[in-house]
Amino acid sequence: MTSTQTLSDWRTSALQLEQQINQVVVGQQAAVRNLLIAVFARGHVLLEGQVGVGKTTLLRAVAQGLGGKYQRIEGTIDLMPADLIYYTYLNSEGRPCVDPGPLVKQGEQLSVFFFNEINRARPQVHSLLLRVMAERSIGAFNREYRMPHIQVFADRNRVEKEETFELPAAARDRFFMEITIDTPSDDAVLDDLMFNPRYHDVDALIGEMSASQIPYYQLNDWATAIQQSIQPTAALRKYALDLWKASADPRAFGIKLHEVEMDQMLQAGASPRGIGYMIRAAKVRAWLENRDSLLPEDLQAVYAVTMSHRIFLNSMYGYRKDELIPTLIDSILNQIAAP
Amino acid sequence: MQALQRTRICVASAMVVILLSACSGTSNQALRDFQLQTPRPFGYVIGDTIRHRILIQIRSGMALERSSLPGQGRLNRWLQLNEVSVTEQDGSDGKKYQIDFLYQQFYAPLEVKELSIPGFMLRFQQHGQTLEQPVAPWPFTVAPLRELVVRQDQHGEYMRPDQAPTLLDDKEIVQRLLMALTVATGIAVRLAWLYGYLPGLPQRSVFKRAQRKLQNLGLQQLPQALGALHAAFNGLHGKPVFLHKLAEFYQSHPEYRSVAEELAWFFDYSNCYFFGDASTMPQENDLQKIKTLCLHCREIERGSR
Repeated sequence: MTSTQTLSDWRTSALQLEQQINQVVVGQQAAVRNLLIAVFARGHVLLEGQVGVGKTTLLRAVAQGLGGKYQRIEGTIDLMPADLIYYTYLNSEGRPCVDPGPLVKQGEQLSVFFFNEINRARPQVHSLLLRVMAERSIGAFNREYRMPHIQVFADRNRVEKEETFELPAAARDRFFMEITIDTPSDDAVLDDLMFNPRYHDVDALIGEMSASQIPYYQLNDWATAIQQSIQPTAALRKYALDLWKASADPRAFGIKLHEVEMDQMLQAGASPRGIGYMIRAAKVRAWLENRDSLLPEDLQAVYAVTMSHRIFLNSMYGYRKDELIPTLIDSILNQIAAP
Repeated sequence: MQALQRTRICVASAMVVILLSACSGTSNQALRDFQLQTPRPFGYVIGDTIRHRILIQIRSGMALERSSLPGQGRLNRWLQLNEVSVTEQDGSDGKKYQIDFLYQQFYAPLEVKELSIPGFMLRFQQHGQTLEQPVAPWPFTVAPLRELVVRQDQHGEYMRPDQAPTLLDDKEIVQRLLMALTVATGIAVRLAWLYGYLPGLPQRSVFKRAQRKLQNLGLQQLPQALGALHAAFNGLHGKPVFLHKLAEFYQSHPEYRSVAEELAWFFDYSNCYFFGDASTMPQENDLQKIKTLCLHCREIERGSR
């Protein structure tokens, strides 16, 4: 069992990292907090948002803060799974060569793998990624490559739908969180973003961050220790169970949405893996809040980011997804009492 | 022929004289208008009052001599003048007087009889000259109140039943009474609402019910006690209230800010009890504090705090 002092030191480092990221990417405190939770819960993250709101900068800042090796790839329609594993070329002597691709190149030192515009890649690529995300290993060159510290960050923009491949339910479920990045609403932040030349050069901006305080190769151990340090009580287990059940059958909890037949709305609620992720995230949040007990507010804080991409609507309500899912999440949180 | 012409000239000049005299008479006549307005001249009985009005228009500069009016008081054995009032109005076309008389007659005739209000002479003065205008006597008939031969009944003289007194106008009183009753009913309904007596509005009695539940609970039933108070807050707010959402609760129920400190303690205590490590044993004092908080909330609910 890790001592309270160690956990407290780790928390200090984590909060420092959060502060540094917030200085680089301004006006995204909520998203940064969620990313931090994902980092310490060792979960993969899907970012979604408009073009140019700072998704890539945010992920680069996180990668810089964590240290370790960082790789990125751009999703395109002709990207094939093999492109992630190796690439072939003719060297200066005219001989064909095969070199490891971005996934296997860094070996075990790979800590952040950033998949830009994931919805532009084909389903074959998605399925390769699924294995990497789930097992943190990949078979290539007749052997197995392990990447125990890898954390996948993917992003997709909401604007274009042409030439894109919607992520299958299985792929989305493997993402720990789906974080929406919106344009900041604070006028002072917007003014700063418009006129401050500091944001013109992203490399220089990321370079402002001091060297990592967090050893990426210890993150898995930290995450285990954090999860073990916090034990939920019976009352909280009951509350979490209700939250889970409500995601599958909101009608049983008296939840009614406007102009929706509640018994026909949902195709599937959250998966057991999903609810497990939610509890993991909630525990990390409690740790970041300097508590050794899990409170309903922790579950509520992470419920939307961990659950909204795991609730699948029937196709007849699919076109109202952007409106119905947040409303459903709000209704669930506002309906279920604890104790 | 000459005779005819002379006749014509005579007729024409006579017409001019008549016309001139007519014009000069209209403009210089001292008394231009005199009207005596009287009511019906019949059907009066003893004690009846009779109003006369005289309207006069005279040339400017003339004045009514007030002493020529009959004086207030008894005029004769059966007639009394109760009121005399004169209003005077100066205009461009002369002076106007309105004189009102209120007579009362006390004649008790045995049969219908004609009487007469005596006439008098109105006098007007101008530059020491006096103009007189007679006001004619006004005849009218009076009738007896009862028959000549008086009926007798078994007790002697027959008496008519007394006239029923007219009822006082109670419209305004009834209106005020209705208003007062409406206000009183409104106050009673509000009071009942505040005290939670209205069955359809449970939100005003949530703490009353919680208080009733808490009354019989001991330290062993602390979870039920906490649950009862949580249920009351949730019921009042319409959705679950949590420690980190107290600000939102105060926004919709600002009256509970007065117990903010106790509320923060309660939610923190409940969090520790239900979700904490439960290393601290609950004290009797804690239960008492919960009951006190419920009492304070009940007072706020009733509006007495």
